Amino acid sequence: MRRLPARYFVKETANNLWQYKTRHLFSLTIICLSFLILGVFLALSNNLAQKARELSGDLNVVFYLQKDAPDSAREALEIRLRGRAEAGEVKSIGAGEARELFLRRYPDLADIVRNLKDNPFPASVEMALSKPDIPTEQILRIIDEVKSDSAVEDARFNRDWADRIRSLSRLARAAGYFLGGILVLASFLIISNVIKLNVLARKSEIDILRLVGGTNAFIRMPFLLEGTVMGIAGSLLSLLLVLLVVKLFPIYLGSSLGALQELIGFRYLTFLQAAALVAGGALVGFLGSLSSLARFLRV
Amino acid sequence: MIELVDVWVQYHRPQWALSDVSLKIEKGEFCFVTGPSGSGKTSLLRTLNREVTPTHGRVLIGGSDILRLPDHKVHVLRRNMGIVFQDFRLLFPKRVFDNVAVALRVQGVEGRELKRRVFIALRMVGMQNRIWDFPSELSYGEQQRIAVARAVVNNPRILLADEPTGNLDADLASDILGLFKEINRQGTTVVICTHDKELIRRFGGRVVSLQDGKLKGKDRP
Repeated sequence: MRRLPARYFVKETANNLWQYKTRHLFSLTIICLSFLILGVFLALSNNLAQKARELSGDLNVVFYLQKDAPDSAREALEIRLRGRAEAGEVKSIGAGEARELFLRRYPDLADIVRNLKDNPFPASVEMALSKPDIPTEQILRIIDEVKSDSAVEDARFNRDWADRIRSLSRLARAAGYFLGGILVLASFLIISNVIKLNVLARKSEIDILRLVGGTNAFIRMPFLLEGTVMGIAGSLLSLLLVLLVVKLFPIYLGSSLGALQELIGFRYLTFLQAAALVAGGALVGFLGSLSSLARFLRV
Repeated sequence: MIELVDVWVQYHRPQWALSDVSLKIEKGEFCFVTGPSGSGKTSLLRTLNREVTPTHGRVLIGGSDILRLPDHKVHVLRRNMGIVFQDFRLLFPKRVFDNVAVALRVQGVEGRELKRRVFIALRMVGMQNRIWDFPSELSYGEQQRIAVARAVVNNPRILLADEPTGNLDADLASDILGLFKEINRQGTTVVICTHDKELIRRFGGRVVSLQDGKLKGKDRP
């Protein structure tokens, strides 16, 4: 048995794409937009996930002392924490030092702090965790225990933040899958309809192919390739647009979001994600064509 | 070569497009199927290439019952048949070469072999100089010649023609029939549906008559 003529299919597909370019351009735009939405949410989610990872690698508990607590209380707490197995590095920060740290990190807010009569920042003791996988309950027990000390006013454990950011990352990804999923479904239907129109427009040609002994595979192949090419081209174009969003968004935003900018940023897709998007585009195009051919092209 | 045994075809109740048709056409025969419009000529041809599945009966080609052929094997039958229509059925956006080549491409023939066989078929119908023209640049008679070239490019064992001269004037019709005679002389069984009695008289050969889906005259069972 002879092979299917690949060169003929490629030529036919290219001819057909060109012949009905307006409708193909329309479906290409829809595919591109669908995968762009998916890609942008993935990029956002990637950034949040990275932030959560960074925070997880830097887990610590900060104990804030009462304003009138003497330095000796801070030192005693530091020694007490150093004795714990859960403690990694323990660092003590005085009230003045905390103020200076703030002024350095947030120069925009420096005037407000300088205008205050008193230093609003309390002294604190930071305890890094010896291992990142110490259970949260164990840490909370330490916090409760330490907080019973009258010199300690409050405590903050940043795993909460890591968890929250991780949840946000999951939420962004889910929103992307949801919105992108709806649009990808729309792309599927649009490809299916475009192929249906092509099949109807080329009905007489299909009849001729059938009568001269064309097999199902031979007649359907150019249509399947059309759908697949549209899917691949649309998803590749969306990757390019995601790259533009990732590069241009921070420039557009400037520093208006301040500290939030770190979170509401984009990190470009991993190779696997990009490959999955292109494969998804190809699959949507292929299946869209196939569904149309199954209904409208029975040889 | 071709045998229809008690073939009944019905599209819509209660009319029968073909009823009780039994017919044998020998290998290498040149056969006209004639009758008025609606007599079942086209249904007979469409039955032979499995476009239509009879309600009842057997259709044997080369001894095999083509009605037993699974759908995915019908293309094998059609590759051994050439078919020519009254309305030519050419691919107008494609050149003459591609119109003829399509019958080979479906079989996976490519490259030099494809070009050689297309050229031979076009030379046979006297259209080798119009190979790069589009069908719209040709006259009706030339378009039908291209359709004939497409039908014979595979060297089919059977050539079916459904009113092949219906759109042509008398001289062009004679030309096309002359081509069919030539193809028949090379061993191909030719079955032509026509209601043009003058043409039948001029070219001779076996004549099978149909009336209201039934065989008439000596072919009647």
